[in-house]
Amino acid sequence: MKKYVTRRVFMGLLTIFVVFTINFIIIRLAPGDPISTIMGKDNDDPILRTALEEKYGFDKPMITQYAIYLKNALTGDLGISIIYNKEVMAMITERIVPTLLLVLTAAILAVIIGTLMGMYAAKNEGSKIDVIFSGAAYIFNSMPAFWLGLILIIIFSSVLGLLPSYGMINTRDAHTGFDYILDVIVHMVLPVCTLVLVEIPIYFRIAKSSILQVTNEDFIVTLRATGMSERKIFNKYILRNAILPTITIFGISLAYLITGVALIETVFAWPGTGSLMLTAINQRDYPTLMGIYLIMSISVAVVMVLVDIVYATFDPRIRF
Amino acid sequence: MLSVKKNTYATFKVINGDIQLKLGVFGILFLLLVGILSPILAPLDPYHYGQDILNGLGVNGHLLGTNHLGQDVFSMIIYGVRTSLMVAVISALISAVLGILIGGIAGYFGGKLDLIVSECINAFMMVPTFFLILLVIALFDNSITNVMIVIGLTTWPSNAKLIRAQALSLRERTFVKSAITMGESKTQILFKYIIPNGIFPVLANTTIGMSNAILTEAGLSFLGLGDPNVISWGQMIFMGKQYITSAWWIATFAGVAIVLTVTVFYLLGDGLNHVLNPKHSNGKGGE
Repeated sequence: MKKYVTRRVFMGLLTIFVVFTINFIIIRLAPGDPISTIMGKDNDDPILRTALEEKYGFDKPMITQYAIYLKNALTGDLGISIIYNKEVMAMITERIVPTLLLVLTAAILAVIIGTLMGMYAAKNEGSKIDVIFSGAAYIFNSMPAFWLGLILIIIFSSVLGLLPSYGMINTRDAHTGFDYILDVIVHMVLPVCTLVLVEIPIYFRIAKSSILQVTNEDFIVTLRATGMSERKIFNKYILRNAILPTITIFGISLAYLITGVALIETVFAWPGTGSLMLTAINQRDYPTLMGIYLIMSISVAVVMVLVDIVYATFDPRIRF
Repeated sequence: MLSVKKNTYATFKVINGDIQLKLGVFGILFLLLVGILSPILAPLDPYHYGQDILNGLGVNGHLLGTNHLGQDVFSMIIYGVRTSLMVAVISALISAVLGILIGGIAGYFGGKLDLIVSECINAFMMVPTFFLILLVIALFDNSITNVMIVIGLTTWPSNAKLIRAQALSLRERTFVKSAITMGESKTQILFKYIIPNGIFPVLANTTIGMSNAILTEAGLSFLGLGDPNVISWGQMIFMGKQYITSAWWIATFAGVAIVLTVTVFYLLGDGLNHVLNPKHSNGKGGE
């Protein structure tokens, strides 16, 4: 187990290193010199230029520059936003809580609903409900999440007028205490629904196919032959084996959600890292964009490693 | 001649036997037809900025209405097929070729090289691709060519992983060993035996990759990073977003087009998986 964990952590570190390197290369390859990239197109203050050149060591060889870049990033210095003139790191930490709130709520809801649907469909394979679920899984799997968000806005905000379509809180009347929480929840309904709807098919399909696969295995036939009740076989043996791939998929799709949520935040004007990213794109705020990319990649790597370790504790076969 | 006929019949039977594959193949043929015939099928020039601004469904002969620039939405959707298919095919090709070469070489030659390459593949698979693509497109140039190249360059690891596993098992097989004895060079063996025999899982994965490429392009366009010189469904949604309450048809139908196209590619990929890989046959008929 110890060896396995060490290997996975090493893998995660390697990934972060790869991301750093890609980031470094992208800055170098971007049109114009890196200082202009960092400073922005409209800003050409000679004092800032010399200060930045000194800070990042552009007079030194490439390897040293890379080392300086790594050292700066590792100490949490991701540069300064050229639009807001604030530290990128501080801006991201400010925005990360709403994003995580959205991502985690959606991920947990999707894994529960999707797996339950998959279990039901696998138990009643070929039934009408199975066909409907499987067909719907195809459609929702092919749906761009941002478009689904817009459609939900049309239906629930524009036509029915039931739910708010943008923001995290009602800015017109400031709520406090319990009302504040309620306000946030009401604003969360549509974005969370969008994410859950596009995530469900992933869990549905993996749960259904792995339950079917385990059911066909020899040891289940043996258990049936012993006369054990179907319910006990399902709960104790099939489910325990079939749930393992869901753990892996949870990690992968959580990683996908962390980055994919940006589009949804744009649709619903949710004040998270995604909308920060959008303004950064529109205003060509490169340091912020780079910073978000780094933070996202690191969170994804951390999630993946954690999931692998959780998986290994559930499935002893992996460890050896 | 007879064997050709027999082969065609066998292929047809396989396609007919799998519902997903059948729907997928018909869907792709339909999309190709629409793509080729778009100048005939589209009632108006989608690049023409007319006077009918934000017309509703069926108003002034515009089947699906017009957008804020007076373009005919139905014609735009017809022409959008071309963009989507182009993005899907070219980026998937780049990704497949890169993946096959890197994975094939690593799996076949093995040893230290394989160790390094496969660790790199694993590391690359953990990098959030959409964000990387977005970053490159935002920093460099948002032409459609660039979008396709970047999607191709960032999605090869899954292909590489599949072909590497194939190469690892293929190189132990007798026909490869006899080729070595016959004195064929390593490059020859790689291209003549390993890659052609191990390519099937990559084919299925590539069709899934195509649907992801379409979704990625749509996502980029939705963030305003699309190529302004081509008509793409993602951009229609991006533009329609501002008129979502007054002119819902601009974004809605473009999205429906994306859903249908991506579903077709998913069905094709799943169908190919069922047919090419007996393990996937859900236990029905594949015993």
